[in-house]
Amino acid sequence: MSRDLRMDGVLRPPEITFTFAGQPISARQGETIAMALWVAGQKALRNSSKDGAPRGVLCNMGICYECLVRIEGAPVRACMVLATEGLNVEPGGKS
Amino acid sequence: MSGARVLEAQVGIVGAGPGGMAAALHLARAGITVVLLDEGFRAGGQIYRQLPEGYDAGHRISEPPSHRAGNHLLDAVARERIRIVHGATVWNARPGQIYYEQNNESWLLACEQIVLAPGAYDRCVPFPGWTLPGVITAGAAQVMVRGFAVAPGQRALVCGTGPLLLPTVTALASAGVKVVAALEAAPRSAMWAALRGVIGNGARMREALFYARSLLRRGIRLQWGASVFAADGDGRVQSALIGKLDQQGAPRPETARRIEVDVICAGFGLVPAIELGLLLSCAARYDAPRGGHCLVVDEQQRTSVDSVYAVGEIVGIGGAEVAMAEGRVAGAAIAARLTSVSFDPRLALHARSERRAADAMLRAFQLRPGLFSICKPDTVVCRCEDVTSSQAAAAGELYGRTTRGIKMGCRAGMGPCQARICGLNLHDIFCDGVEPDLPVAQVPVKPVRTATMIDVPRR
Amino acid sequence: MTAIAAATADVVVVGGGIIGCAIVWQLAQRLPRTARIVLIDRGPIAGATSGSCMGHLMVTPDDAQEYAFSHASVQLWRELQDQQGGFDYNPTGALYLADDPADIALFANLQAQFVACGDRAEILDQQQLRELEPGLAHDLPGALFYPGDGVVLPMTACGAMLRAAQTAGPRVDVLPYTPLTSVLREGDRITGVVTPTGPISSPNIVLACGVWTPEVGALAGLPKLPIVPRAGNLAITAHHASPIRTQLLEISYLRFAHGAATVDPTLIGADQGGHAVNMQPQSLGGCLIGSTRQFRGMNRELNHELLHRALLRAARYAPGLLDLPIVRTWVGLRPFSLDKHPLIGPWPLLRGLWIAAGHEGLGISLAPITGQLIAQQMLGLPCSIDHRPYLPARVVA
Repeated sequence: MSRDLRMDGVLRPPEITFTFAGQPISARQGETIAMALWVAGQKALRNSSKDGAPRGVLCNMGICYECLVRIEGAPVRACMVLATEGLNVEPGGKS
Repeated sequence: MSGARVLEAQVGIVGAGPGGMAAALHLARAGITVVLLDEGFRAGGQIYRQLPEGYDAGHRISEPPSHRAGNHLLDAVARERIRIVHGATVWNARPGQIYYEQNNESWLLACEQIVLAPGAYDRCVPFPGWTLPGVITAGAAQVMVRGFAVAPGQRALVCGTGPLLLPTVTALASAGVKVVAALEAAPRSAMWAALRGVIGNGARMREALFYARSLLRRGIRLQWGASVFAADGDGRVQSALIGKLDQQGAPRPETARRIEVDVICAGFGLVPAIELGLLLSCAARYDAPRGGHCLVVDEQQRTSVDSVYAVGEIVGIGGAEVAMAEGRVAGAAIAARLTSVSFDPRLALHARSERRAADAMLRAFQLRPGLFSICKPDTVVCRCEDVTSSQAAAAGELYGRTTRGIKMGCRAGMGPCQARICGLNLHDIFCDGVEPDLPVAQVPVKPVRTATMIDVPRR
Repeated sequence: MTAIAAATADVVVVGGGIIGCAIVWQLAQRLPRTARIVLIDRGPIAGATSGSCMGHLMVTPDDAQEYAFSHASVQLWRELQDQQGGFDYNPTGALYLADDPADIALFANLQAQFVACGDRAEILDQQQLRELEPGLAHDLPGALFYPGDGVVLPMTACGAMLRAAQTAGPRVDVLPYTPLTSVLREGDRITGVVTPTGPISSPNIVLACGVWTPEVGALAGLPKLPIVPRAGNLAITAHHASPIRTQLLEISYLRFAHGAATVDPTLIGADQGGHAVNMQPQSLGGCLIGSTRQFRGMNRELNHELLHRALLRAARYAPGLLDLPIVRTWVGLRPFSLDKHPLIGPWPLLRGLWIAAGHEGLGISLAPITGQLIAQQMLGLPCSIDHRPYLPARVVA
């Protein structure tokens, strides 16, 4: 990303860090996993079960289940879970 | 008796958007105990989505005049100290009981009356490349901007149909996104039809004027009778094929041109979230202009189930003003039932007039059948189960040309979204001439952990 | 629907579930190219029990007859996979589990039954079990593994059978959303059926309507057939992960599912219902969880209490299940035959009327052999196994 997608001039809480597929991702408190990954340029969150094609956020409001990732092995919607300090997130998809 | 993981209230409300909040406010002011359940992190629903705690964007994010009413409502709900349970995924309900999952815990809200105000979700018509990361719904884009002060990309295509495209365009623009194209699938005549429908509704006229000015000021032109044809890119959206539609709404390939974008925001209308109503055995009917199957209510917003009320989009897409008006009606109707206050029929009159204006607007933006030919044989139609259009067609041919036949033949609609994304598309693309099957109400209405279903609180 | 019914046919099969589809498949392989088979259903194909059941291919070694019956059918499933595919065929075998000492003793009995039938099954100790299925609870004492069982997706298997039939030679017309409105007869023989889209004259009708067979049989003037619904509550998890790779069965399932009913199955409200774990891994990940049984008529409402107990029990064997999202729960109705054997063959009092129904929880497993027995008897061919225990003549009062 050539430009930070977080809008300028907006007061935000402090930065936190979590990991996605082992890579550190910085987020602001209050951001969902999906939002923080989107800003970090990580749009593909899982691979489809059948053909392995990348999938990411579609509805961003907990309806479509396209943004499934894993936390401690369990599938969760990245758009409905807040990013927290030290959280380890793995891509979703068949394991 | 209140036990572990059991909340009690006289009225349980699902959804803290305009409808749910308006109902809650009315009830709270009548001295009735209310609990609002909402899946989001803050009150407001999708339309009045607030930034997270600790954020301040000043006036950087575009707000149409109608949001003032939303802000007043949010303030009033906060002042009344109405209890809102956030992050609550409701998965089961029966009269008097609402079951939800919150922070991986299984909870029960026990209540005498239920108000359903779960809102709606975006409809997206499948087109080649729409599964690429970077294709998002118009609603998703608004969540990014209004909910997180994040720009969805640098160069955006906004496409689809209906009154929600304009707020999407203005939200993107205020976030500094270059809106490369804004395409409305309906013909220009829809604009006049919609405007005729809202004449006499001052608030809606002001809203239309606001958007017209915003677009003009930013030099963005809404193109009527145009659509996305395809998305392309290597692992994410890098370009889009767009073009004009013919009289039937079908793409005109000779008009196709490619634009470079990194995000495509598509919104082909909204679909009422009726699943919980169906689970409660509330009667529903199909109403295409209102977005699909809608719950049936009487003039006091009561469903066919005596203790269950429904307001806003679940009764048919109508927007925030309708939801608020109907929320007040439901609140007043329940207050009249539980206290000695009598029901003020003027509230119902007002709700009906808001509903009429909304209906007139929606009729103008109905999807034309030709549009579905943007979906090609190898386009995925059911994203959860990775079913392509040709597979769904073959299933319908053999199993019966209904959404149920298609589902049985190829699993389309059986994934975790429970056909919310594909259901109406399957019908409109493959089941010409038959009334859509009523979605089957199954527990859980949204997926929840097995542990949640096992650890159900008991009263 | 738009399809126009063929006005004449050699056979009309009523019921587009797995049994009806298997009959069409097996008939099409044996009838000449000039023949016509019509399948009708009042709803979509696989729209009733076959769209709301598990997909267990199960060899039952109760005795030589049952073994031959079930084993031949599982072999035919393998043939369908080779011929056609497309129905998530997965020869996982079956792991029989127990945690109760009395039930653990049953491993040896069941193994002996398989051996007596000339087959084999292996008793696994705790270590071997953990190697085979690391996701199972670590305190389980062991298991019995039978390699011959499998899993299919019944809904798409129906289509695979019909597609195999459509390419076999005879003309096969599949008419979903075409209910049977009446049966045409002359004296003691069948002459056809009537549907809303018109009559179809045919010398043979096969009723393969599962729990609705008594109701449809009444249209043909049959006395009330001894088949009653037995409800099962099911749950399925999202794809993404299955805690298991092999199909799991609590060994108590055998006496529970196939043993004698302790209540009168025809009484509604008398049966409290029971459960034993049956879990099946799905081809795209995730797993299907059963199974409960309860006689309570045509009621298809979820029995939350029974399902709750079944899930709790499943999680006792596969604790990883607790964190997996459940996508859907539902109820399916098994066609329970009062003497516990399916009805397969001609109705002796009405020439040309055939019945194939009453398989309880083994309809998927036994569909191919059922189709084969109907086809063989209809065409006067020798039957591949002894068909006499299943003849409907036994229920003629």
